[in-house]
Amino acid sequence: MYVYRIMLFLVFGGYLLSPLFMDGWGDPTAAWYRPFAIWGGLIALTLWLEQKRKLDER
Amino acid sequence: MNVELVGVALLGLGYLGILFGCGMAVERGWVPVRVTRHPMVYTLALGVYASAWAVYGSVEMAGKAGFGYLAYYLGAAGAFLLAPVLLVPIQRITRTYQLSSLADLFAFRYRSRWAGTLVTLLSLLAVLPLLGIQVQTLSDAVTLLTGSRYSSAVALLFCAVIAACAVVFGARHSHRHRHDTLLTVIAFESVIKLLAMLGLGAIALWWVFDGPQDLQRWLEGPGAAIQATTPQLEAPQWRTLLLLFFAAAFMMPHLFQITFAESLSRHTLLQASWSLPLFLLLMALPVPLILWAAQSTNDSLPLTAYAAYVMTEHWWVGVLAFIGGLAAASGTMMMIALALSGMVLNHLVLVARPPEARSDLYGWLLWLRRALVVGVIIGGWLFAESVGRYHSLTSLGLAAFVGMAQCLPGMLALLYWPGANRKGTVAGLLGGIGVWLWGLWLPLLLNIELPALPFTTLTNASDPAWYSTTLLSLAVNIVLLIVVSLFTRISEGERSAAEACSVDAVIRSKRLPLEAATAGDFTAHLAQALGEEAAGREVERALKALNLTPQERRPYALRRLRDRIQANLSGLMGPSVARDIVDRYLPYRHDDAPVTDDIHFVESRLEAYRSRLTGLARELDGLRRHHRQTLAYLPVGLCVLGDDDELLMWNQALSQLSGISGDSVIGSRRDSLPPPWPNLLSSVLNASQTPLYKQAVTLHGKDYFLTLHKAVLSGHDSRGGSVILVEDHTEMKWLEEELVHAARLASIGQLAAGVAHEIGNPITGISSLAQNLRYDTDDPALLETADHIQQLTQRVTKIVNSLVGFAHGGRPALPLPTAPAALKTISDDALHLIHLARSSEDIVFINTCSDDIVVRGDAQRLTQVMVNLLSNAKDACRPQGTVQITAGTQASHAWWRVTDDGHGIDPSVKHRLFEPFTTTKPAGEGTGLGLSLAYQIINEHQGKIEVASPPPGKPRGTAITLWLPLYQQDDHSPHAPDTDC
Repeated sequence: MYVYRIMLFLVFGGYLLSPLFMDGWGDPTAAWYRPFAIWGGLIALTLWLEQKRKLDER
Repeated sequence: MNVELVGVALLGLGYLGILFGCGMAVERGWVPVRVTRHPMVYTLALGVYASAWAVYGSVEMAGKAGFGYLAYYLGAAGAFLLAPVLLVPIQRITRTYQLSSLADLFAFRYRSRWAGTLVTLLSLLAVLPLLGIQVQTLSDAVTLLTGSRYSSAVALLFCAVIAACAVVFGARHSHRHRHDTLLTVIAFESVIKLLAMLGLGAIALWWVFDGPQDLQRWLEGPGAAIQATTPQLEAPQWRTLLLLFFAAAFMMPHLFQITFAESLSRHTLLQASWSLPLFLLLMALPVPLILWAAQSTNDSLPLTAYAAYVMTEHWWVGVLAFIGGLAAASGTMMMIALALSGMVLNHLVLVARPPEARSDLYGWLLWLRRALVVGVIIGGWLFAESVGRYHSLTSLGLAAFVGMAQCLPGMLALLYWPGANRKGTVAGLLGGIGVWLWGLWLPLLLNIELPALPFTTLTNASDPAWYSTTLLSLAVNIVLLIVVSLFTRISEGERSAAEACSVDAVIRSKRLPLEAATAGDFTAHLAQALGEEAAGREVERALKALNLTPQERRPYALRRLRDRIQANLSGLMGPSVARDIVDRYLPYRHDDAPVTDDIHFVESRLEAYRSRLTGLARELDGLRRHHRQTLAYLPVGLCVLGDDDELLMWNQALSQLSGISGDSVIGSRRDSLPPPWPNLLSSVLNASQTPLYKQAVTLHGKDYFLTLHKAVLSGHDSRGGSVILVEDHTEMKWLEEELVHAARLASIGQLAAGVAHEIGNPITGISSLAQNLRYDTDDPALLETADHIQQLTQRVTKIVNSLVGFAHGGRPALPLPTAPAALKTISDDALHLIHLARSSEDIVFINTCSDDIVVRGDAQRLTQVMVNLLSNAKDACRPQGTVQITAGTQASHAWWRVTDDGHGIDPSVKHRLFEPFTTTKPAGEGTGLGLSLAYQIINEHQGKIEVASPPPGKPRGTAITLWLPLYQQDDHSPHAPDTDC
């Protein structure tokens, strides 16, 4: 169950902080692909949690 | 650079033709099932979320709101990240109760046709702008590529072909099976649109720009000024957008259908929690590249994916954008049409006109659905032509998403608030829909601005209409849902549905009897509503799913059958109509019988969901399983009966004893058990005092003696019923009888020992007198007589000693024999003694032992063994029977065999042949001590006995083989050789 709690925490935390995603637009000092890199990281984290959940349920 | 209109039409038709071919390949089995049912196909089918909005609208939105366009993708990604706590519970409910749409779910949970109808109407109105976007983008694409004014006609042609595809692959049979073909086709379309978008992004990055460095240079140079002028979304607006797309990801009709009705399993859905966000990431990545490429060349270019085409002026780039857009639009249109047609059929058409008993019910429903599929797609085209063309893609899309978000409060209450009721939900929906219609949908339809609603002035005047309308509509919706639910009563039906839907549900299924007595009765009852053919098929389908037979009579099984039929009909006609039919034609019997919880149903549910339990619930379930296994594997028969006489448990020991498996009787009534169980259980249930000792019964042809104990389950937390323990005391009864018999024989043995002791003294006297006689005479005849007397007294002494030894617990009374004993002599001796008995006169005895086989032993005691064996052989033979004594050697042992052709040994006594008092002879003819003594004597000789009955290669008879150690010359011999041997 703690995996689901991590997921809930991630999603609601991400929801509150998500406006930061828009900050890179028009900012020449920030890499344009920054939002996608963060997003990719979240997907990797979800994949890891999913594998962990599978192991928990065995 | 214009492409011919006919060319574009053929291109579109060609693509749709390929799509059709892909579907046919799946239909004909050319694509392996492991491919069509692969979780990745499901994820790609979920990619239908990326509609024409993703290909065209996102580029447009990125131009208007920068990275704000990401809300469309991140909202959906967030919904799937929450799959374990949000989507999986919904999937559980929809699969259990065969609910295929949001309207089905609302109608089921809130036990209200109105809720289902309202959600259907809302979906219809909300989805029209989304359908309009798909048609609009097709029409715009044709216009952009050809400059023709007949683009709407071409779009209509595409719509017709898309409708045909939807009918062929999606509306072929009933609504409740997974559409493998359709999902594979949609997955194929997702691959095409993803490749198209990635291709367009690559063209923008490496063709328009000169690679990533060039892009970065542009962004830091001339592009910086353009980006600085791009308006940014305020944080609250961004969050609102995220919420809208979050809700749309699983509540839009087409997405609800794929996410829940078409999913293979919970694991497939959980896999989509990371694979769908990955797909969306790849779809979103090229969007800013296309936009910046367009802005870098000409600021007046259309801000859609076609920017790339216009920039490069290459026809194949235009084709790439067109195919990507067509793939996105056609998939979305097909799925929306199919999902919406089901909702309209179940919640508008069938509610207004319930199905009648007709022979072609399935055909009627199918054609109705096909007509609705075509109607929905044509409706989308009409909307695009009459309304859509006057609005931006963003306006149309947001109107659709805000509309569907009105179901979000009801959906969350469905999962997490069992207190919500139908009045609150309907009031909330009506309020939210009213605000949405006034604030967004009517202005869209009428293309005018309506007066602002109260409270919208609380937001900034500069805020867009979608934002203020979303906030106000959801606020009204939530407040009405909560307030009305709190102040109105929740019905019993709603309460049970809420329990079934709630994430922390406590299911309390009741054991009510049904009017229908057998599964066969179901068909007759249902035929009144569905017609003979449909009723027969539905009952057969449900029986097959539950692995039951038409003869099934168990109340538990009949209740499951009823539930299954209701779920199946729900998939066919919606939950409202299904519930009405089942309640009316398969009613429960409300008699005076006590109503109790259906424990077996609860257990089977717990078993099914066991892997999903976590934490304390998992520990409790582990404890429950432990206790259940304790009872199931108890080495004593156990059955549990409810107060209504329904069997709740029948453990393994009882199954073995009765020969009746637990699975076949659990859930049935006591009186439906095979005899003698109904009477037996009745007697113990009605007995004022238990246990009932040694009840004589006949089970599978054998006599048993059973002892029955009873305990009544009562108390505050008890669910009622009785526990009955059934002990098999047959063996104990037999042992008791044996014990009595043994005691009788033992007393005889003691008597014999006493007599033997008394005989001992006179025998010693006789022996002494015979010795004296030898000294007192020289007469050879008298000397011989004295010798005979002495030999016979020795024999009597040894027999008496054996009897005394046996009477003293089987301990050997004599030392270990070490003298040589010739088997032939012993055999002759034994035969001589046997011949003294009159009854042996008509039996042929043959002794073929050779003289040279000499064993180590006591000839006298071995004679006793042989006499016993020959006596038994003689008794087993019929007149003129043959008994043969043979002997031989093997290594250091001699074998000595008595073979007869008699009736053989009864198999029932074979395993206790050498136990004392074992006999098959009539009372008075045998003591059962002969073989026991023989075994004891051979054991003392360090030999062994083998029994073969019948002997190998012979049809009948018995061969008893004695193995004895051969006499060796160096054997220590404290006694002189026995000259008798």
